[in-house]
Parts: sequence; structure tokens; C-alpha cells
Amino acid sequence: MLSHLHPLPKLVICLVWMVTAILVFDAHFQLIVILLAVTILIVLERKPPLLILGLMIPFALFGFGFLTTSVLFRADSDFALHVARQSPFASQAFSAGIVLFLRAIATGLVSAVFVLTTDPGLFIKALMADWKLSPRIGYSLFSALQLTPDLAAELRQIRIARAMKRGRPPSAFLHPAELMTLFIPLLAFAIRRAGRAAIAMEARGLGMGMRRTIVGAPRLARRDAVFGGAALSLLIASLALL
Amino acid sequence: MPDLPAAAWHDVSVRYPYEKRDAVGPVSFALKRGERLLLLGPSGSGKSTLLNTMTGLIPHTVPADRTGDVRLGGEPVGARPPAGWAVDVARFFQNAEETLCGMRVEDEIAFALENRALPELEIRNRVTAALRLVDLPEDWRQRRSSTLSGGEKQLVALAACLAQAASIFVADEPTAHLAPAVAARLHRLLMEGDRDRSVFLVDHRLDGLVASVDRVVVLGPEGTIIAEGRPASVFRAHGRKLEELGIWLPLAARLDGDLMKAGFAAAQPPLTLTEALGGLDPLAGEDEEKAKAVVRDFAERHMRGPTKRSDQVVARLINADCAPLFGPTVLRNISLAVHEGEILGILGANGAGKSTLGASLAGLLKLKAGRREGKAGGIAFQNPENQFIAGSVNEEIALALPAGIRNSEEILRSFGLWELRDRHPFELSQGQKRRLAFAALTAHGEWPLLVLDEPTAGLDARGAGMVTRHVEALAQRGHAIAVITHDMDLALRLCARSVIVAGGRILADGPTIDLLGDADLLERAGLAEPAISPVLRWLASC
Repeated sequence: MLSHLHPLPKLVICLVWMVTAILVFDAHFQLIVILLAVTILIVLERKPPLLILGLMIPFALFGFGFLTTSVLFRADSDFALHVARQSPFASQAFSAGIVLFLRAIATGLVSAVFVLTTDPGLFIKALMADWKLSPRIGYSLFSALQLTPDLAAELRQIRIARAMKRGRPPSAFLHPAELMTLFIPLLAFAIRRAGRAAIAMEARGLGMGMRRTIVGAPRLARRDAVFGGAALSLLIASLALL
Repeated sequence: MPDLPAAAWHDVSVRYPYEKRDAVGPVSFALKRGERLLLLGPSGSGKSTLLNTMTGLIPHTVPADRTGDVRLGGEPVGARPPAGWAVDVARFFQNAEETLCGMRVEDEIAFALENRALPELEIRNRVTAALRLVDLPEDWRQRRSSTLSGGEKQLVALAACLAQAASIFVADEPTAHLAPAVAARLHRLLMEGDRDRSVFLVDHRLDGLVASVDRVVVLGPEGTIIAEGRPASVFRAHGRKLEELGIWLPLAARLDGDLMKAGFAAAQPPLTLTEALGGLDPLAGEDEEKAKAVVRDFAERHMRGPTKRSDQVVARLINADCAPLFGPTVLRNISLAVHEGEILGILGANGAGKSTLGASLAGLLKLKAGRREGKAGGIAFQNPENQFIAGSVNEEIALALPAGIRNSEEILRSFGLWELRDRHPFELSQGQKRRLAFAALTAHGEWPLLVLDEPTAGLDARGAGMVTRHVEALAQRGHAIAVITHDMDLALRLCARSVIVAGGRILADGPTIDLLGDADLLERAGLAEPAISPVLRWLASC
């Protein structure tokens, strides 16, 4: 459903919800945002719950940092606590941390709604077509998206090459010390690859003129207006309930 | 201006920064309109550099000093930025997969046309036509480029170039990494079709290609032109010199050279083995027998006869399920043993799982099921850069030698790398990198099993010769060798036994000569018969 929408209005709506979630320090509002986002992702978009749980791990860790800071280092976090005291949980020392924790999860989930329902290719095309993103930057982003799986394949092959010199298969887990030693060869690979891609793009005419056609760029439709209206109405209604 | 050449180089030389000698030049030649021109030369002779001068990528994008004059359709190349020549010149790169920039197949093909700001409808029509021309399914339009195999990416890149409908098509070793069936198709698409299109091509895979080439220009090791003319004439007149310089010759030219030495030269220099052998048909009696002996000797030099296999197994997979590191299972229930002193060919189309099988056989990938017996082996990877850990060529070999032995000179000389000993490994040409990786891998001589992934891809004839001689020497010393290759002629020359991988399993295991003579089997595996097959059939029919 949301994947059929124009990426740019969807981005704006998601940003509005995220900014509101950051500014409104109320656990109820954060819970509404979380509930809505989870409903959209699991019920409407049929995304696997485990995927969403996995994506929320860094946000949960981030939020947990707020929680521990609030509880253990109250004196060092005056500003956060001052703001959080405005919430219904203010009477308890724990409540401020909970609000901040929920806020991290809520913003994470809203960003997941955008990322999991948006084709990156269409998003970049829309940025080039409607927000005048330079094609050089747009196609660099495309190229970077192509590079990611190849970088992973390169990493695997370098690990096998090194394991060969040690005489045993590579371990399933990448040790941080090993990761550090892989950084330079992978960077060299990425730089060489970027250079070749840049030459190829130039040879195929990128940058020959100011004007260029963008085939298949998303176009605004009535459904985008309906989505925007519904999302903003829901936001206002949620705020009114507080 | 119909008389003007499509492209012309006049006294062109190129020198890269900090280099003491020119990478190429001075050269003067022209690409005529509608001409199919093949550029040959040994590794490092400046072929790719010359291609990069054509649209001004050198010196505009790749820093280098260029002297002389390059013109396209009579216009100085510097009159436009390199991107401005995309209207007239379509460039097909060696590693097309490294140059894809569209998220989906349709975007990839449309890219150059979008840059020309053509109307969207026209772009869509051209994309459809290009898909049909290359015979790519319509439902590939929305396929993500990253989900394509290497061979599929090459075909999409070819469709993108053809969609440009440029008057000049330039290709730099387009088939170096392709399975034979796909390579033959790519050659056909490049060389046939629009006769108004000029094609300027660099390629090592000459058999099946030279018949459709109008003219050959040969660069020598100094980067200057040493021969030029119709392919058959050039190969007959300069064949021996080209071989000495390490330049690939088509098999027909090599057989023609042998027949000439024996006094059986055809009146017209042949371009195909069938033409070369056709010249022997009128012979009778003693001459016929002599000619047969020449052809037999030629065939024997290009194939490995049956060898007595040692009973000693070096590595064995038993009912193994093989998967790349962190990847899903790609080969199931594999049982395969490689013996002491044996050279085993691992053959298959792009994406069949040959590299995974090789790494599993070497014990460098954990099996998903089944088991492996034998000591761990070493691998020379398809991308040699993955093996380099040192700051210079000399150090790379020195580090590979057993403790206490630090004299790398002999090894470097035997691989033709001594003059490059102080260079950083990443500064070498692709062929030189491949030789260095192979030299480093074999330096200490401890691996009981060596897996070589496409050991001769992208090498000139001299480099390929060095590698094959070292492989044979290692096998004679008792090492087991597994050679993963797309080159059926290399498999026939090196490997007495081969396995063919297809459909997630070993499709066939047996003498290479038998497997590569089974047309049905080759078709099922997406392979093609070796270029030398007409000779083998001719001998069989005698």
C-alpha cells in the first residue's frame, strides 16, 4: 500500500511525524506512534515481525542509554529530565527515562515505515526529478547501492584468502581486530571501483548537458494527497487526545 | 562527409604521470566507417590506453600526457568533453558488472539515452528493441541489476551499448570472464548486424571472432604498430613474430604456420580451422600422410592425453553440500576426489558454482552437509588482488617463501616479474597481478592441492604459457591441481579429467576429451565445444 505512494510526500509526512515525536514528551503519544507504525508495517505491509524487531535493536539500545542515564545519572541529565518532567510519569524518576526510550523507538519505527515501503531507486529518481538532486550525486548513490553486495563478496573472498594462509576455514564471526585489518583493502576496492564507475558513467554521457530525461520517475497522484491528508488528520487527532 | 574516417589517430603518444616511457605511441591509424577493426598486442602494450584516448577520457578524466591528434568524424576529440561523445561512441567495458549504474535492467539500458535528453517514449522503444536484440526476456525490465549473474550483467551492458545506436562501438576484452556460449553470442551481436556501425575491438578470444574482422592492427611491446592489414594476411606474414611477442593467434593461424613449415600451405591464408583443413583435401598418398602427421602433432600439442592416475587421494568430498561463505547451498550431494599429480578441470557456465566447489575442495569453506577428507589446499582467486598483503612485488614473494629462504629472484624471473620487483602489487597490469598471485601461492611449494580459478583469464599468450608450464611442473612434482575455467581449450590442453558443474550438481565426471566431445552435454551445461574440435573431427574422419 504505502509502497505505491510517491516517495517525496511520504518522506515529508514521515519527517513531520518524527519531529512531532521528538518534540512531544508524552509516553502516550509515543505509544500511539509505535502502535500505528507497527500496524502499518505488520498488518498493511505484511513485513515480518522479526525483521522489524531486528531493525529496532539499535534504536532500543539508544533508548536504553537514555533510560540508564535518567535513572543512574540524574544530576548529569538535568535538561532531559527537566523536559521529561512534563509527562504524566514525572512523579517517578523512572518515567523520564521511559519517555525518552519510547521516543527513540517511535522515531526508529517511523523511519522504518519509510525505508521498508520505499524503493531506493524510485526515491533517488524522485529526488532528481522533483527536488533537482544533481544526476552526478543521484547516480553516485545508485552506484553505491550496487557496490554494497559486491563489497560483502569482496570481504568474503579476502577472508578466505587469509584463512588459506592460516590453513583453516574462516570463522563464522568477524573479530573486531580482523575487521580493522580488512578496512584498508576494502577501502582500496571501493575507491578503485568508484573510479571505474565514474569513467563508465562519463563514457555513457553523464554530464553532457544540463537537461536529461528521467524514465520512470514517480509522479504525484490523488492517492498521495489522500495519504497526506489522512496522516496529518491522524496526527492532529492523536495530539488532541493527550 | 562520407570519406572521413570514423576515427583517426595521428602521431598519438600517451605517457602516464611519473612514468619514464610512453605507455603507447607514437601511432597513426584510422578506423574506417563500417569497419570491424581488431586491436591486438601483448599485455602492457597500451591497448586500453589507446581506447581511452578515443573519446578524450585520456587526458580529460584519466590524467596523462597525450601528444598528437585524435579525431572522431573529422572533429578534434578535445572539441567536446568525453561525455559529449556518447552520442557517437558506445563503449563496452571489460568488467561490465563494475560499471552498472542503474538499479534495474531497464534503467541500465536507458541511462545513456536519458543523458541525451531523448523523449521518454523513444527511450522506452529503444529499450524494448535492445532487449529483443540481445534476446533478454521482457520480464527482466524490472529485475534488479544486483540479482544478475556475471554473464547476465555483461549481456545487459551490451544491450545498453546497442541501445545507444552510436555509429562507433568500442569494446575492451568483452568476453574475458564469460562462458563460451555467452561469449560466442556476444561476439555475434557485436560483429553482425548494422554494417554502417564501426566496431573497434580489443579481445584475446580470437577463434570464432577473426572471421568477421575486416582489419587487424597489432601493437608491439613498445606500444607502436608492428603490423596492420587483413587478419589472415597479418597472421600468415607475422604469425611467428606475434607468437614470440606473446600475442594470441587464432588456432587456424597456428595450424597454418605448422602446415607452411611442412610445405602444405593453402594458397589463401585461412581464417578458420575448417578452411585450413579444407586445403588438405586434395592431397593424396605420401603428402596426405605427412599432412595428417602435422595435424596430429598439432592436436597433441593442444590436448592432454590420458595419464596414469595415482591411487593416492589428496582431497575428497563425500556427499557434500557446498555453499559460499555465509551463503545458501549451491551444490548438493557432491562426491569428488582429486589425486596426487592430477590436473582436474572444473567446468561450467557463469554462476554454476565452480568457485564454491573449488574452495570446498580446498577445505576453505565449511560444508553444509557431508564431509571432506585430506589436508587443506590453496587457491589462486579469480581476483588476484585479494591475495596481496605486501607493499612490493618482491616482498609478496619473500613473505610466501619458507622461513629462512628469502631469495625471490629465481621465482620472479621465471614468472617474468623481476623487472617489476619494486612496484606495489596493485600497480601491476591485470595479467601481471595474476602471475604474481600464482607465483606467491606456489612459492613455498607446500600445498598438496592447488585450486586455480580462471588462471589464464585476461593473460596474453606468453603469460598464459608461463602459467600452464608452471601448472604442469607442479603436477609432475606430485601436487594435485584443480583448474576452474571457462576456456574449453585450456581444459583440453591441461586436464586429463574434468567435471562439469550445472544445476547444483556435478553433471558429468570423466576424461576431458570425452566430455567436451559430447554436444548434448555441453548444451545442457551452457558450454561450447573447444575451438580445436574441427581438427579432432577431421582426424577422427581420416
